[in-house]
Amino acid sequence: MSDSTPSRKRSKWDEDDEEPAVAVAPPPKRRTKQKPAPESAEATPPPQQSTPRPSLHSRYVPPRTHHPPILPSRSVYCYERLNQIEEGSYGVVFRARDKQTGDIVALKKLKLDEEKNGFPITALREVNALMSCRHENVVGIREVVVGDTLTQVFVVMDFIEHDLKSLLHLMPSPFLQSEIKTLMLQLLSAVGHCHANWILHRDLKTSNLLMNNRGTIKVADFGLARRYGDPVGVGGMTQLVVTLWYRAPEILLGATTYSTAVDMWSVGCIFAELILKEPLFQAKGEIELLAMIFKLLGAPTSNSWPEYSTLPLAKTISLPSPQPHQFRPKFPYLTAAGIDLLMSLLTYDPDRRITAEEALQHPYFTESPLPKHPDLFGSFPSAAAGEKKRKPYSPSAPARAADYKLLLEPDLPSVD
Amino acid sequence: MHAAEDRDGQPAGATAGRAWDGRVVERTWRRRGENAEPNKTWLCFNMSTALYPLATLAQIERTPSREDGVPQDLEEDLRAYGCKLIHQAGILLRQKQVAVATAQILFHRFWFVTSMKQFGIGDIGMGALYLASKLEECPIRMRDLINVYDLLLQRATHTLGPAHTNHANNPEFKYATMSYFGSTFYELKDALVVSEMQILKRLGFNVHVVLPYGTLINYLRVLGLTSEEEACTRAWGYLNDALQTPVYALYPVPTIVSAAILLTTRHLRIPLPSTPPNCWWDLFDAAWEDVWSVCGHIMRLYRPRSEGERARIVGMVNKKEVRRWLEEQAASGNGAS
Repeated sequence: MSDSTPSRKRSKWDEDDEEPAVAVAPPPKRRTKQKPAPESAEATPPPQQSTPRPSLHSRYVPPRTHHPPILPSRSVYCYERLNQIEEGSYGVVFRARDKQTGDIVALKKLKLDEEKNGFPITALREVNALMSCRHENVVGIREVVVGDTLTQVFVVMDFIEHDLKSLLHLMPSPFLQSEIKTLMLQLLSAVGHCHANWILHRDLKTSNLLMNNRGTIKVADFGLARRYGDPVGVGGMTQLVVTLWYRAPEILLGATTYSTAVDMWSVGCIFAELILKEPLFQAKGEIELLAMIFKLLGAPTSNSWPEYSTLPLAKTISLPSPQPHQFRPKFPYLTAAGIDLLMSLLTYDPDRRITAEEALQHPYFTESPLPKHPDLFGSFPSAAAGEKKRKPYSPSAPARAADYKLLLEPDLPSVD
Repeated sequence: MHAAEDRDGQPAGATAGRAWDGRVVERTWRRRGENAEPNKTWLCFNMSTALYPLATLAQIERTPSREDGVPQDLEEDLRAYGCKLIHQAGILLRQKQVAVATAQILFHRFWFVTSMKQFGIGDIGMGALYLASKLEECPIRMRDLINVYDLLLQRATHTLGPAHTNHANNPEFKYATMSYFGSTFYELKDALVVSEMQILKRLGFNVHVVLPYGTLINYLRVLGLTSEEEACTRAWGYLNDALQTPVYALYPVPTIVSAAILLTTRHLRIPLPSTPPNCWWDLFDAAWEDVWSVCGHIMRLYRPRSEGERARIVGMVNKKEVRRWLEEQAASGNGAS
């Protein structure tokens, strides 16, 4: 009975539609009691059914069932180990196969042996950053699994074939402008997403950008990432962040509070590296790096960077004489818009440095040549998966002829 | 696993880059944050797009402790006491409330996947506070935390232990520091490291927590209650008290905040539209049954407790004591039958 009252109310507008359904329903009264209700719901016109639903629940407050359950970590034995990809200070990365689904994943084993303060805060930041920054261009974290003892912890991530650094090194010719635009758009949207979620990456560089064979890059290695902004505490952040070549000038000069702008400087360095096919500032130390930055950008002035003189290490640096920036000679083939974007990223004053959101709207991305669709990118053999570049086929000389040639080779090491 | 993974990942990805500014919330933030950068206001709401975990129906109906024979009211009391210890330790350590609240929420989640027979509420509370302090970027020293917990437990046994003696006989509490050569500190330190790791492992490293305070401010603004100072303080207090109950692992934040506001307005007799179809909690997508249930959880905290009941709880901070109690219950149960 209670079922029938709401359906009758709803049928005020379409009584004629409802009636046949009711007429059919009565004979098997008890058993089909549930059935008429959904049927009548289907009978009502779709717009009427779909409009009340969103009003019942705002999409900003997802239903309870959308929340993930509280689930313990699975065992690492759910994965089959394939090969070791790389080993770093943070731990070892393996390629592995999920035994259930057959998916190929990357397993990063955390180093926990020498920890005196419990679970390392850096690993905690990394796992948290990856979990809260899910994005198409951020490497996906699948879960964290554990081994037999409490010191064996593995972060399971999507396996991505390449990193941009070795790709740039191996590929015969640099990326096309259209390709660079696609890569930059992806990178900027990932960085913007992290910043929107209050996460600083603090180690953006080409070797931390992974790329799959479908033309998509993924930001990886959140080992130095941390939350920023109130109420997490702004001050007291370490200067020991970001690989030297990609480090922003304010960190070099000892600023204790820095923010999203440090990531944007790194993005600028990556942008330049994609164009040049080699890192922009290949310095051996901080002083040399500052000198290189001063040379490219021109020395900072009170106009271009008002807070420069207040930075802790500013007094220890002797500034070169003012000179104009050297972007144009360094990037002769870049369009004016491209130069403008690069200069906006590599800006001294962190407050004036372009944000990821703004950079995404930059005219550079809408001028010709337009960004290439990711699907049109070429694919490459993956070093991480243990694949080798197949040598281009070229006919070789007949074996005997080669032998013959060898015998006649005049440059053979002499016997005496 | 993969279904869970998708559920976890999907909403975050789907709404990525889009503002998490419910019409209500956005408006109030604009009004409040006039000096704030306009484009930064929507950023704060993106945060919540990564959904925090909540216990499943099966986990709620049969918690691991109840499976092991711990009655529901005892589990409730132990949870509340564990959270009180976290709170007291937080105050003594001058830790930020965000870290304390995060610790308490992680603590409650933990008992939906682990039995109190396996781990003590003291150790896990300590581990939760240590972990939460790292998560909120305000780490504390292990030694400080251990000392504070040692003091708190000593004081609790002192005030409640010799309950029979009246206050005149009861000597003033004096903290006996850990002996320099004793093993107490190292035992506690090991327990702390293990608890932290166990919390991480048993929560699947998903330690994402959303605190209710910002939501409360927004809702109070929407309801026009911010001018009533007492209402704000009281609602804030209910949210903090609710941290002693499992509700943060059971219901989404809007429901809990609505419950705190409901209790406040009832207590202060502030009229709000509450007759269907015009119910103020509908604005915040909270179901009446859920709001009511959260209110019940909170109000149960305030019921008068006898000295004996309190002593019973203080005596069960360690898993050993819980086990002994369970054995005694089993023995007496067998004897009776």
